[in-house]
Amino acid sequence: MAIENEIRRLRFAHGEMTQAALAEKVGVTRQTIIAIEQNKYGPSLEAAFRIANALNTPLENVFRWRKD
Amino acid sequence: MSFREKSAWIALLAYGGVFGAYFIALWQAWDPANGQPLSIGPLVAAMFAFVGIVTVLTIVAALLNPKAANAPADEREKLIELKAERAAAYTLSTGVLLSMTGLLLGFNGYLIANALLASLVAAELVKAGWQIASFRMGV
Repeated sequence: MAIENEIRRLRFAHGEMTQAALAEKVGVTRQTIIAIEQNKYGPSLEAAFRIANALNTPLENVFRWRKD
Repeated sequence: MSFREKSAWIALLAYGGVFGAYFIALWQAWDPANGQPLSIGPLVAAMFAFVGIVTVLTIVAALLNPKAANAPADEREKLIELKAERAAAYTLSTGVLLSMTGLLLGFNGYLIANALLASLVAAELVKAGWQIASFRMGV
């Protein structure tokens, strides 16, 4: 997938937030957070903004486009 | 494992187990000369067994994690379900077309009815399998 993310690093920088806690804040399942972290699923724009909001950081700090 | 993945596993096991046994029994009892070896009884029994197994296993899965069972599907789960249903629709369409071809070739109604049932079961197996693969490997 061409979209990479820093969710795992940001979770730990954000008080070691668990995947379950982030999932609860975003409104998705923990399995979906795992899939996003592992770049197995590209979230919708709304979910991406929700993740950034939950991590108190701008969207561009969470997701980035990988140029091949 | 999410509740919806468990549901897909339940569907896969129930469809595969119950209707697999039904179609094996049908195959073993099949007599081309007779053409109608089984009564409606085994089909009704398979239906009841299927409903019973799915109901019991779904209740158990829900009791193990009621919060997840009551939560609405998220966007990834909805996407996985849509893609799985598309694959199932292709499977069902293919089965229906093959069954119609069998009808045109002169196979009897009993055989065609079971071919249609097999198409439906195959479609549900494809749907459940697709969902499980997507949950495991990504969308």
